[in-house]
Amino acid sequence: MSPTASWTAKTTYPVLTRRIPCWPHGNPKDRHTVWLDEYLRPPANTGAGTLGGYESLRKTITTMTPDEVVEHVKKAVLRGRGGAGFPAGMKWSFLPKPDANGDGGQRYLAINADESEPASFKDRLLMDFDPHSVLEGIAIACYACRIQTAYFYIRGEYHHQAKVMEKAIRECYERGIFGKQGLLQGTRTKNRDQAWGLDVHLHRGAGAYICGEETGLLESIEGKRGWPRNKPPFPAIKGLFARPTIINNVETLAHVPSIMEMGWEWFSKQGCDSTFAGAPASWGTKLMGVSGHVNRPGVYECDLGIPLRVLIESKDYCNGMRNGKKFKGAIAGGISMGVLGPDQMDAEMDFDIGRKYNVLGLGTACPTVFDEDTDMVAVARNIARFYKHESCGQCTPCREGSGWLYQLLTRIESGAAKTKDLDLALEIATSMGTMPGTTICGLADGNNWAVRTIMNKYPQEFEARVKRTFVPVGISVGAGAK
Amino acid sequence: MAWIVKNSAGMKIPRRAEPYLTAALKEQLTREILPRYEQKRGALLPTLHAVQHEWGWLPWQALEEVGAFLDVNPAEVWDTASFYEEFWLQPKGAHVVAVCRSIACEVCDHASITAACKSKLGIEVGQTTDDGKFTLVELECLGLCEGAPACLVDETMHLNATPESITKAIDEARSTQGGHH
Ligand SMILES: Cc1cc2nc3c(=O)[nH]c(=O)nc-3n(C[C@H](O)[C@H](O)[C@H](O)COP(=O)(O)O)c2cc1C
Ligand code: SF4
Ligand code: FES
Repeated sequence: MSPTASWTAKTTYPVLTRRIPCWPHGNPKDRHTVWLDEYLRPPANTGAGTLGGYESLRKTITTMTPDEVVEHVKKAVLRGRGGAGFPAGMKWSFLPKPDANGDGGQRYLAINADESEPASFKDRLLMDFDPHSVLEGIAIACYACRIQTAYFYIRGEYHHQAKVMEKAIRECYERGIFGKQGLLQGTRTKNRDQAWGLDVHLHRGAGAYICGEETGLLESIEGKRGWPRNKPPFPAIKGLFARPTIINNVETLAHVPSIMEMGWEWFSKQGCDSTFAGAPASWGTKLMGVSGHVNRPGVYECDLGIPLRVLIESKDYCNGMRNGKKFKGAIAGGISMGVLGPDQMDAEMDFDIGRKYNVLGLGTACPTVFDEDTDMVAVARNIARFYKHESCGQCTPCREGSGWLYQLLTRIESGAAKTKDLDLALEIATSMGTMPGTTICGLADGNNWAVRTIMNKYPQEFEARVKRTFVPVGISVGAGAK
Repeated sequence: MAWIVKNSAGMKIPRRAEPYLTAALKEQLTREILPRYEQKRGALLPTLHAVQHEWGWLPWQALEEVGAFLDVNPAEVWDTASFYEEFWLQPKGAHVVAVCRSIACEVCDHASITAACKSKLGIEVGQTTDDGKFTLVELECLGLCEGAPACLVDETMHLNATPESITKAIDEARSTQGGHH
């Protein structure tokens, strides 16, 4: 029996999507935006608690100090849902003690709702239909990190979503949930028995993928071009307007209210543990947005660790490949992560995926599935075009390399390339990124992994497209031989 | 490809008497937006959005006015504005049809959508119709991948587009006022 056949969901109820009908718990046709009045009504207890409606925030601020909240989220090993998978509690604990910089403790939260990674669309679901669950997470994070100003950075193309978030934020101000008077109409917090004021502002981007990179995002809020910054200093020390800043993804923050209500032990029973000794776990559920050649593309909330095969084939989720075609491959989770090959359909969708299946990582956990008729050379060319278009141009390997790769892949696709062009393309791809240490940010790594994994996992397709060249083979003997 | 710089020495700047950044806009921005940022320049993107919303694009004179309003050198306003694809430094059509060309849409035949738009509007990607009504662009992933092929007509999302549905959407847009965004 394949490992897949024996897989069963641990979390049989929706958590992040409890107000957003998703298969298998509800029909997406029934979705509507949950505004404040509806959000304040206690939800039915399906397993994810009954608080909802900013009661999780109330419970948190009245019964716990900020440090206790950070400690709690740390124990939950809530790993970032925006791409890198860095544990949120740990990130929060890197903030310096308030006032250590003599700046009156001014610090910021920036919420990353840029979601421009091709194939990713899961954050949009939360913004479209349950904006307050995100805002409640933001409020708890701000209390925990002693932050009084948060910027919600949303990509420019999300016009409708920006309007929804704007209205939801306005609702919170009108009811005194946010504002200078303190969270929840000035409720006394456990921390020194004072109220905790919070301002949340929407900040719209304007069509630049690189502004999703955390420091590019900060530059963009400062009114500059979205050029990523060299690190260190890390944003937790010196971020927005040179103040300590936390950057978290929308989905990461949306997890926080239920973790605070139900406890980290509850969270740890979802998802899976790492199979590598000492590696952080992949606890919790994850929104997975499947697109491409499947019968029912869409967002599903699944336990981390669900095999891709189950996600694609199960009637609960995508209900099989479109037109009964065979699986050829899938983007692992946003194109920067690279591609899972034809024999990797059983890959478990958790944070270990990078170590096990020769991809960069889980990314946004949004796979685009390809059927047997897909031209993988065209896929590689499309992806290379994206990076060429989106490179911000600061680092030479990324700026030039992305252009060369696109040219090479266009040539390969057209049939005009030679065998040695394949080696050249691989060499260029391999030499760019923060991992070989040649660039400022991870965009080049994304380009590197995406192109390299496609070329390595479908070599015949590339070789069939090029003209053979016979190159003299150098033979080395003795000390230089490998 | 924001790093490619055009030689602008000797460039003629068209000017007009009335400002693009109107007193009403300034008043609104000063009241609602400026207090949100600890440095004035933080309000640059929101200000550019507001001006573009009003006029449909960002003429050079408007960039100068924005610079004066926020105490930012006009060259730096240009530097920022030119980096972002959504800021139009040339006039665009009253409506923008944006077809996604990224991976999920390409493998779900975005080409048929672009082709339908081209033949419906009689223009190539990147062009504006002669009557100034429509501009056609191809953009990278719009975040609507579950509905690939996807496109945006002005601010409206169109999922699972077909050549017929997009043609219809264009007709509908034609009968509405321009959506400056
Ligand atoms: C080129 C690039 C683009 C990125 N785009 C996004 C994005 O659109 N949304 C996002 O949440 N994270 C994005 N990230 C990851 C962020 O840098 C950062 O890791 C994340 O927002 C942190 O939040 P988290 O810890 O909650 O995941 C991107 C990273 C890189 C290198
Ligand atoms: S790696 Fe590329 S996108 Fe990132 S900073 Fe360098 S040039 Fe810009
Ligand atoms: S790839 Fe077209 S919307 Fe995402």
